[in-house]
Amino acid sequence: MSGTGPGSATAFTVNGRPVTVAAPPLRRLADALRDDLGLTGTKIGCNAGDCGARTVLLDGAQVCSCMVSLAQTAGRDVTTVEGLAAKGRLNRLQRASLRHGAAQCGACTPGMLIAATELLRANPRPRREDVMDSLGGVLCRCTGYRKIVRRGAGCGERRPATLAGAPAWRSRRRAAAEARRRAQAHRGRALRRRCRAGGRTLALHRPLAP
Amino acid sequence: MPDYLRPTALDDALAALVRRRLTVLAGGTDFYPARVGTPLDDDVLDISALPALHTIEERAGHWRIPALATWTDIAHAPLLPWFDGLKLAAREIGSRQVQNTGTPCGNLCNASPAADGVPVLLALDAEVELASVEGSETMPPAAFIRGNRETAVAPDQLMLAVRVPKPRAERAGAHFLKLGARRYLVISIVMVAAALEADTQGRVACAAVGACSPVARCLPALEEALVGRSCDGALGEAVTEVHMEALAPLDDARAPPPTASMPPRTLTARTLAELESTM
Repeated sequence: MSGTGPGSATAFTVNGRPVTVAAPPLRRLADALRDDLGLTGTKIGCNAGDCGARTVLLDGAQVCSCMVSLAQTAGRDVTTVEGLAAKGRLNRLQRASLRHGAAQCGACTPGMLIAATELLRANPRPRREDVMDSLGGVLCRCTGYRKIVRRGAGCGERRPATLAGAPAWRSRRRAAAEARRRAQAHRGRALRRRCRAGGRTLALHRPLAP
Repeated sequence: MPDYLRPTALDDALAALVRRRLTVLAGGTDFYPARVGTPLDDDVLDISALPALHTIEERAGHWRIPALATWTDIAHAPLLPWFDGLKLAAREIGSRQVQNTGTPCGNLCNASPAADGVPVLLALDAEVELASVEGSETMPPAAFIRGNRETAVAPDQLMLAVRVPKPRAERAGAHFLKLGARRYLVISIVMVAAALEADTQGRVACAAVGACSPVARCLPALEEALVGRSCDGALGEAVTEVHMEALAPLDDARAPPPTASMPPRTLTARTLAELESTM
């Protein structure tokens, strides 16, 4: 029988690099990554698979590394957030996150990036619903998700390679921005109607678009 | 220091279970959350390296979902509409991360009252396949799950697969609906699964509905009321409070008892109505 005893070492690949971790086989992969390999990009959340902060790719599929045993990674390929940038240059998804402002405290960001990486590798032009499905397992307490989802859906839209494609692309971008402004204005009007109907004055922390 | 066994042959795994009590580990999506804040000191039998336990297969009379087939495998498998309810459960359980590692067989073995796979497999009249050094046996989920996190699996037994019988009628489908506080990463408050087989006149020849309580249960009174009815777009209206009496709603943080009887009836009616519209 091929078993692994308490003193065993586990060999696998992390971000393309072969590693060996000498630790109990039942150790959570998340703890091995952070404490044994020094890869602290994968954050600590609930440690129970309920928040997605510990999300990594295992053979290309997103998993909660807090629910994977070290022994089960033997011979397999792990990707953490540290593996997304190549030679110090942020990849397109990471640049899109910056452009969209899709992070505040950053605790969920590694998990969100990893989940989005799995999605975009399988579906380079995801719909909004696809993004929400794939990222539904990572919780964010800061952003309200809108910019994260917009980043995921917009990441597939490339700037056109030629001038011939530029006018249509700019036109689509303007139309999307206008739709967002109209939606926000509608929500503002609806909120003010509810305030008047309820007979109460609510404090609004920022002015709503007219 | 605890032992961690990861055999590559089924005979070795079964022999290990005879020698001493071991905790079986597959996807880990129930094992690790149950041990947050406690030392990982179980003696473990990790079955993830066992061969021939990944592929969903069609066999004479049934489909076989082996122990290491994940929820994602279910969602992507080319299966009949009879499996639509199981596919919906596969895409709503936990999150994408949980679906990529968790398994229907593990879901049954954990036997949580909120196990999303259980009502679906009840509705599909599935059987679990258990093996030991003494041989193998099958039993229906209703007999396998005895209570809250309590199953009939013996210490020396391993669940190898769950078998879903093929429908007898040509028109057959299944559906699944789940009520939870949010879309993902939520323990279900109520979930309902329904399976219908209809004959050539559109009459319901067989129906099974599973809904949530300390142990998921079929609703035999409702099933009897549906048999022989036509698929006339009104099956959902056949659901009454009387049919829900088989349930014993949980008194917990998700839904206190006074309101707990309402969601199952509404959800059951909606499940039947949506299923009927697809057939």
